[in-house]
Formats: sequence, structure tokens, C-alpha cells
Amino acid sequence: MTGQTTIAPSQDVRSDVDSLRRVWALAGLQRGKGLRGKVLRGILYRFFQSLSLGLAFGAMIWVVIDLAAGQVLDWARIGQVCAIVAVSLIGQTVFSYLSAMNAWLASFELASDLRLAILDHLRRLPMGFHLARHKGDTVTVLTSDMQMLESFLSDALPRIAQAFGLPVIVLGYLAWRDWPVALAALVSIALGLPLFAWTSRRLALLGIRRQDTQAEAGARMIEYVQGMAVIRAFNRLAKGEESFRAALADFRDISVRMVMQLTLPLVLFGAVVSLGVPLVMLAAGARNLDGAIDTGTLVTALVLVFSLYSPLLALISVMELTRMADASLTRIDRIMTAQSPPLPVSPKEPQGFAVRFENAGFSYVAGKPVLTDMSFAVPERTMTAVVGPSGSGKSTVLNLLARFWDVDEGRITIGGVDIREMSEERLNSLITVVFQDVFLFTGTVFDNIAFARPGATQAEVEDAAKAACAHDFIMLLPQGYQTRIDEGGGNLSGGERQRISIARAILKGAPIVLLDEATAAIDPTNERAVQQALTSLVAAKTLIVVAHKLGTIRAADQILVVGEGRIAESGSHDALMAAGGRYSNLWNARARSESWRIEGHSSNLATRAH
Amino acid sequence: MSLAEASLAETTESLTPEAAQGPDYLAPLRLMRGHLGDSSARLAFAIGLATLGVFAELVPVWAVYRLVAAAVAGTLDWPLVTTHAAIAALGVIVGFAAMGLALGQSHLVAFDVIHRVRLAAARHMARLPLGYFAERPSGDAKKQVVDEPEKLEAIVAHGLPEGVSSVATWLAVSIWLFAVDWRMALAAIVLTPVSFVLLGIGMKRGGTYATAYQRANARMNAAIVEYLAGMPVVKVFNRTRDSFAETSAAARAYADIETRWARAYLPLGGAFYMLVIANIVVILPVGLMLVKAGTLDLPTLLLFVILGANYSQPLLKLFNQFHGLAHIAMGSSAVTDLLAQEPQADSGRRVILRNHDVAFEKVRFGYGQNDVLHGVGFLARTGEVTALVGPSGSGKSTIAALVARFRDVREGNVSIGGVDVRDMAIDQLMETVAFVFQDTFLFSDTIAANIRFGNPDASDDQVRAAAEAARAHDFIMALDHGYDTPLGEQGRTLSGGERQRIAIARAILKDAPVIVLDEATAFADPDNEAAIQDAIAALTKGRTLIVVAHRLHTIMAADQILCIDRGHVAERGRHRQLLEQNGLYARLWEDYLHARNTPLRPANAATITQEAV
Repeated sequence: MTGQTTIAPSQDVRSDVDSLRRVWALAGLQRGKGLRGKVLRGILYRFFQSLSLGLAFGAMIWVVIDLAAGQVLDWARIGQVCAIVAVSLIGQTVFSYLSAMNAWLASFELASDLRLAILDHLRRLPMGFHLARHKGDTVTVLTSDMQMLESFLSDALPRIAQAFGLPVIVLGYLAWRDWPVALAALVSIALGLPLFAWTSRRLALLGIRRQDTQAEAGARMIEYVQGMAVIRAFNRLAKGEESFRAALADFRDISVRMVMQLTLPLVLFGAVVSLGVPLVMLAAGARNLDGAIDTGTLVTALVLVFSLYSPLLALISVMELTRMADASLTRIDRIMTAQSPPLPVSPKEPQGFAVRFENAGFSYVAGKPVLTDMSFAVPERTMTAVVGPSGSGKSTVLNLLARFWDVDEGRITIGGVDIREMSEERLNSLITVVFQDVFLFTGTVFDNIAFARPGATQAEVEDAAKAACAHDFIMLLPQGYQTRIDEGGGNLSGGERQRISIARAILKGAPIVLLDEATAAIDPTNERAVQQALTSLVAAKTLIVVAHKLGTIRAADQILVVGEGRIAESGSHDALMAAGGRYSNLWNARARSESWRIEGHSSNLATRAH
Repeated sequence: MSLAEASLAETTESLTPEAAQGPDYLAPLRLMRGHLGDSSARLAFAIGLATLGVFAELVPVWAVYRLVAAAVAGTLDWPLVTTHAAIAALGVIVGFAAMGLALGQSHLVAFDVIHRVRLAAARHMARLPLGYFAERPSGDAKKQVVDEPEKLEAIVAHGLPEGVSSVATWLAVSIWLFAVDWRMALAAIVLTPVSFVLLGIGMKRGGTYATAYQRANARMNAAIVEYLAGMPVVKVFNRTRDSFAETSAAARAYADIETRWARAYLPLGGAFYMLVIANIVVILPVGLMLVKAGTLDLPTLLLFVILGANYSQPLLKLFNQFHGLAHIAMGSSAVTDLLAQEPQADSGRRVILRNHDVAFEKVRFGYGQNDVLHGVGFLARTGEVTALVGPSGSGKSTIAALVARFRDVREGNVSIGGVDVRDMAIDQLMETVAFVFQDTFLFSDTIAANIRFGNPDASDDQVRAAAEAARAHDFIMALDHGYDTPLGEQGRTLSGGERQRIAIARAILKDAPVIVLDEATAFADPDNEAAIQDAIAALTKGRTLIVVAHRLHTIMAADQILCIDRGHVAERGRHRQLLEQNGLYARLWEDYLHARNTPLRPANAATITQEAV
């Protein structure tokens, strides 16, 4: 064990008792469903199952004591013992069934309820929350973490109950027969349990570290695999393998170290508890030789000593389950404690669809402002284009207007009303966002377009598709509008997917359109169709567009050049060109790139460029 | 980690219906054996130690029995007590020490084996045709190298030592018990097969829900993924209530199947865990009757009560291991499949190329049943630019990929300098061809390291020169740490255009005579586009350049433009010739100009529409 290894002090580490308390709180989430009752019954019945098993041991002791005292066994006695054993068996059968039924069904219900609660909570959280997280993390919480909780409730919790059930009965019985022997039996438990709690906590800390280091080593391996094409293309297998080998070796070494650090305390716990056996042998033997207890009691104590310790040893296998469940709880809490944006008490109605940014300031990460003191006005039904270098905050303008995040300073208004004072539904009904990344649902083409307006008729959907230049290619699909779109829209080309998403936006008919132009190229025919589709979408709307193709925004009423988080220049194309600032530089660069072409050896680039 | 894997398995995991498809349960063992290396002795040692440990843990049981027997016989004295207590203590200490040591050793072996499997899988991947990766999600490869081998830990570190020791001990004790009194031994053992049979029936009953469970689980996962991926769209369209309703229906259906499965499985399957530890209910009545009949003495009865009640527990532990086995087996099969993939044929021959002309002759190629290319032929001359244009899905990128042997042709051949690409060493081919991809992959390392990837021996000046030629120098210098700026998860994120320029700098540094650009100018930022174009111009001088492009003005001056349509070369020639032909290229060109220059809306749209309203 490396004593000096620094273990991150983490508030995420809970004690076992805290974890239990948290699970208990979650079980009470759905009032009136009696989940807590079920969980409790699951534990209680498991306890009764132990008691029933204990009954058989009781019968054994009862008869053995008398046999040891030299009594002769009669058939009536055997009959009685058989009856008790039969009751014991029935009790075990019934209670184990009831316990499992209650615990399992409660765990399924709880996980299901919790899943629904999280899903519901997620949709109320601002988009910023979702965009700032790995989607995979959230999926993990809803799937494997829930299964983890199920396992904990259905399996670990009853086993914990069982681990204490039989020992408590045995100890009680021993104390009744002879308290010094009981005391001796208790010594190893008293020493072992703190060791257990300590180990469990240590396991949690090590677990977190192991996870982190593993994640890092894993990330490097993933990178190697993902970069395989590049590694191959550059003939750099040796170099790729070098970093990869190191990552693999790290991974192995960390795993080994962690296991070594964990094995020792666990072995120690097992040994300490089990040393209770020789201790009880000594104590009971001494008491018997002293004449303090009779042979029957001695035999009883010796026979029961294993029933005292082996259930406790079973705790070892529950320990990690508890820790894993705890890690799951932590991840669940990260979602459940996230705040949804405050809803206005009395939502206001916007007067018109003019948009204003008033001294808006915003940062994704505290201390790194993306926008500072951003002010501009977009009159109703005009077109504003936002241009600027990558990372200048262009897309942030759209994100804030759609309330994916809230501004830190200043305010944004639509129709004179702060967007934070509108109801979420109202704001969303005013705005259509056309994202760079098109998202289509699994379902038919019709469903995907009609998504914008529940109850839309076939004619309405077709009109929208026609306006989006999508009708023709849709009619060429095997089942027309009823063609199913594969997961992620894989059976359509990029340009076709864009047009379906534009048809959806057209059908919505919101008065304000936020358009983030796609940067990746598609083939010219598709691009032209997309361009035409966008033209239909934005007609007569208040339009804010983050532009990448300068040629399409020349006619904008207003062009905002964003730089360093504020507006560097603004005005019409002609005015900005005349000003000779950044915009005119961009435009000139474009003109140069227009005249540029990839040429063979015969041509001279320099002469063309000038 | 797997102390609790077993317990996990006891509940939800055992639902996993992969078993229905019959996983190859021996796959993990075979995979392990193939990569055991020099660890086999150590593994045997671990198994031996574990067996010693389990035996030692039974020593206290025996010591207690001896005391009980002495007490009943009235021969108990203090030395006997202390001796046996000491023996018991020794048993406990030796038992746990041996078990701890065994697990330590077995983990060492396990992590070594996992390490070797990973290395083998990763190395093997490097020998597969690149098309192998293009065909499947990148997550697959990651799983086969990272996740699946990890599962071997449960088998090597726990399953083998604990399993072998459990069975060995159980058999040994059983034989001992039968030797002592076969009737009582039978009584002590009888519940074990009964409980296993009940479990089997229970699992079978639960198994009828396996397919339904699998479906419900898949449906729920897909619904959750879509719910989250579609969240921005859902919110914008005010449809969160509906998408929530759909996802929650899937979640409810899943819970419903779980419940039905539990109701089917539990009555019998649950009885197993109860019966395995309940054998006292048989031992006691049988024992008493034999005592009454006078054929059994009290100490022997007590031996069975004490030992018989405890010795089946290791079996339970072993059984818990089996639950996860289906999962592990499927993982091992996936890795084995990967290792069995045919590596790309490599002639290993270094040949002299008389020039760097790239020639396609009657090339046919397809991914599945259907051909994508139907007899493509062209010659891209050294020092010339050959452009591939055409609608999406026409086969442009496939042609580009064949040059670098990401795939091998089905018919016809691809040659460089008159030599079939399959006849030259892959090393040589990779040295000859530089390939710039559309989706640029950069490593999470510094910018300098990413550029130097093109040539590990390049000096700082050369790296800088390449960056300058790629028009990346200026934006790199504007970053906080210049060339030492780290990229990736913890580092800076660059725009698509910036990433492409780094990738081009990397290719410039490689200095290969044949360059393939697969839509490497695809990302459009007004300020980036000109720079990327300059960067590419720097790449082309005196080399054979094959470029796939949608931005047609970039290839206007190409020596040869190939217009690809549905797997054929539909038109070929220079820009002007093709425009005069007034065919597919001319149409593409017109669409291109139109898309680029049509305003989103007419000049004074606002005023017009306001008047109209």
C-alpha cells in the first residue's frame, strides 16, 4: 500500500448510512404508492426467513442439549422436532418468496418512477444543461444507474438485513444462556465492523480515483482506435503504438495497485471476524470447565458460532454493490438537483416581434466572457446577419435568444418584453431555430414534418415540403411521405435531411427565425435546393442569421460584425464596404477565394490571386 | 472490479437474454489461454493457493466439531480446548492469507492477460484494411480493445481460482462426509441438486420473457437516446410533453416486462437461494431417526449439523459467477472475431516507381451486394490536378479511398507509377500517398505534435514552415500557447476550417508525391475558406493531386475534372470543355453559382412585405 498517495477529498463520498438514507428518500419520492412499505416488507420478510431458519437450529439445540445430557430419544420427541423443522421449512419458503417479491417489485417500481421523474425533470432544464453534458452521461444515469439501484434495493438491501438477522438472534440467545460467552462472541464483531466501515469508505475513495485514472487511460486508447485511419495513412504505427502501449501499461498498473490496496483490508476484515470462532471456543470451553455452563450450552455455543459469523462475512460481497449504487446515486443527484430556469409568475405578452439585445453579457464558464455589453436592435420582419471569426460568439447570440442559456448581464427583449418574463411555450412559439446539425426522429417523413404542428393535414405538410424543395425527392422515396427515416436519417443525403428540417420549420410558421448556416459543404445541386428552401422559410419573418456564405447576406438590412464579444461593426453591406473595416476585409478575402482554384504545375497561383 | 459482480448477476443481469442466442461459454477461456503468456504457472499457483484457502477455512469447522465431540463424550479438558482453538485460529489466518494472496496473484495474471489481449487486438487492428473501421461505428473498435477484454477479469481473477477451489473443496468434503456416514452425507447433499433443478425451471420460465425483455430494453434505450438527442428540436417546437410521453411509455413498458419476468422466475428461482443454505431441515430429522435407530452417534450427527450446514456455501458463490458469464462470453467472442479478421494482404515488396501517375483501370467495387463503382477508369498524371465532382453518393469518396487501399478493388486495378497498389508494400504505399480526410482527426496533444505526426524527425522550423504553407501559422500564434497549445478534451477546440488547416500542415510535412484530398475544403467560414485554399495550393506543387470537392470554384483550373455519376465517370475534361458540353457538370456549376450568390431574401424584403400586409 502506498501510504502517501493523495486521495482526493471528495464530498461525493458518502458513508454507507448516508447512502441508505438517500435511497430511502428516493423511495418516498412518489407519495401514496407505498414503495417504502414494500421495501421495508422486503427487508422484514427476509428477517423472518432468517428467523425461520433459526427455528430449525433452535429445534436442533433443544434436542442436542438433552442428548448431550444423556437423555434417551423417543419417537414423540422426533415427531416434535420434525414438526418444528417442517414449520421452519414452510416459513423459509413463504418468507423468502414474499421478501423477494416485495423487494424486487419495489425496486422495479422505484427505478421506473425515478426514471420518469428524471425524464420529466430533464425536459424542464434549460438546453444549456444538456449541451454542457455528454449525452452519454445522461443516458447512463437513465439506464445502467437505474439498474444499479434496482440491484441495490432488490438484492443488496435484503442481504444486509440477512447478514444481521441471524447473528442478532444467535447473540441474543447466547446472552440469555451465558452473557460472558456472548460477550466473547461480540468482540470480533465489534472489531470487525469499524474495519468494514473504514474499508467501505476507502473503497469508495479508491473507486473514484480508479475510475478517473481508468477513464484517462481509456480515453487514450479510444483516441488510438479513432485515430487509426490517420495513423495508418501517415505510416506511424510505431508512434501510435508507443502512446498506446504506455496507456495500456498505465491501465494495468493502476488496476493492479488498486486491487492490492483493496484486497488487504477486506482479507483483514474477514480474518478479524472469523477469529471470533477460536475466541468463542476458548471462552465457552473455559466457562464449561469452570462449571459455569453445562455441556448443552457449550455445544449450543459451538454449533451456533458459524451461523454468527458467516452471514457477516457475506457483507463483503455487498460492499462493492453498495459503493456502486452510491456512485449511481451521486450521478442521479447531479441531474435532480440541477435548477430549471425560474418561470415568470405572471407571464407577459410581447407587442410585436422586434428583437433587442440590451447590454447583454454572457459567459459559459465564469471568468471567460463570450459576450460583453452586446447591444443591437432587429426591427420586426427585417433581416440581420451576424458574421465574425470562429469563436467570436456568433452562435451564442442565437443560443441566448432561444433561451438555451440566460444572459448574465443586461437583457434580451422580444416585442418589448424580457424573454425571461415570457412563458416558455410562448417564447418557443415565437421562435424557430434552424440548427447546423439536423435532427430527424425515427418515424416517417410525414411525422417528422408534422412534428412542428400537431394535427397538421397531409395538404399542409405537403405545402411545407414543396416550399422547402423537398416534395419532389420525398415522392421518389419508396413510400413517399410514409417512408420511415432510419435512426439519424442515414437513408437520406445531408441536403435532403436539411430540407426536411426546413419544411418542419416552415410548417411551424413562427414569426422569428434564427438560422445557423451549415458550414460543411454538400453537393451543389442539394445546396441550391437548400438555399431555395431557406428563402421560403425566412420570407416576411424577423430573421437573424449566423452567416458563413457572404453572398447570401449581402441584401441584409443589417450586418453585425462580432469580434471579442461585442459588436465591432454594424450597418448595411454598402455602408460597411465603404467603411473599409473588418467586413470589407472578409469580403475581399472571399473575392480572392472565388478567383482561386487548385491548379496543376502549368499555372501560377500568384498571378491569379492579384 | 467484481466482488459484487456476482450479486449484481443475481437480479437484473440474469435477465439478459443474450443466452437465448447461445453465447459461446468457452470463448473467454480460449481467449485467455491464447494470451496467458508466461503467466500460466502463476495462475496455477493462484488456483492452488485458493484451494488451500478454502480448505483452511474448513479447519475451524473441524476443530469446533472435535470440541463438541469431546464435550458430548465428557472428555473435554483445557489443553484440548486451547489446542483446538489454536488450530482454528491458524486455519482462519492461513485461510484468509492464502485467499488474499491467491486473489492478488490471480489479479496480476488477469490484468496481464487483459493487457496482452488489448495489445493483440490493437495491433491486429493496425493490419486491417481501413475500410473495416469506416464500416462500423467507432464505438465498436473501442469496445473491442477497451471494454470487452476488461470483462476477462471476472473469469481470470475470480472465476478460475474461486471456482476451481470451490468445486475441489466441495468434492473433497463430500467424499469425506460419505466416508464418515453415507446416509447422513446423502441427507446433507440432497437439497443441492433439488435447488439447482428448481432454479433451472425458474430460469426457463423467466426465459420465455427474454425476447420481450430484450425488445423492451432496446426500445427504452433507443427512446432515451432519441429523447436527449432531439431535445433542442423538441423544445423549439414546444413538444416536450409528447416526446416525454413517448419515452415514458417505453420506460413503463420496460418496468412492466421486468415485473412479469420476476413473477415468472421468482417462485422457483428464488427458492434456490433459500434451499441452498437450508439443508439442516433434512440433516436434523434424518439424523435423529438414525440416532434413535442406534446407528448414529451424537458427535457424528453434530459433525453433519456443523459441516453440512456450511460447506455448500462456496458453491453458491461459484454459481453467482455464472450469471455474468453470458455477457463475458459474448464480449470474448467479439474480441476473438476481431482477431480472426483477415488482415490486409501486404506484399511487403519495395518497388521502384517510374513516376507517380495514378491509374484506375476498369475498377469495380462495392460495399455489400451491390457495386458502387461500375468500371471506373482514368489516369491522374504526376504534377497534375485531377478533380472528382458529382452528386452525393455517386462514388467520389470511394474512388479516393481506393488509391490509399482503404479498400481493395473487386475487379480491375489501381496503380501508382505502373505498379498495382496491392503489389507494393503497405509501408511504401503509405509513404507515397498523403490523405487528407473530410472529418479531420487530431490527437489530444499539442498543435506542434499533431503537425509533427506527418514527419517525426521534422525540426521546429520545418513544423513552422509547414504551418505557414498551410496558412495555419497566424491563427496558431494567436493562441495562448502558440504551437504548444494542447488540443482535445482538456485543450482548445478549433473550428472545422482551422482543424483542416492543421491536417493539411501535417500532410505538407509528410511530403508525399501523391496527395488525396477528400473534401478537405468542405468547411466554410468566410475567413477560413481563402486560407484553406492557399494551404492546398502549397500542397500541390509538382505532385499528383486527386481532390474530391463540392466547392467547384476550387477545382475550376484542374487539369482534369471527372464528373462522377452513379459509379461511372459520366464526363471528363477541363472546366471550359465541360461547360460547353452542357451536361451534368454544367448543371452542377449553375446550381453552385446560384446557391452561392442568391440572397436569402430580396434586397428590400422588409419594406415590400410590410407594404403587402
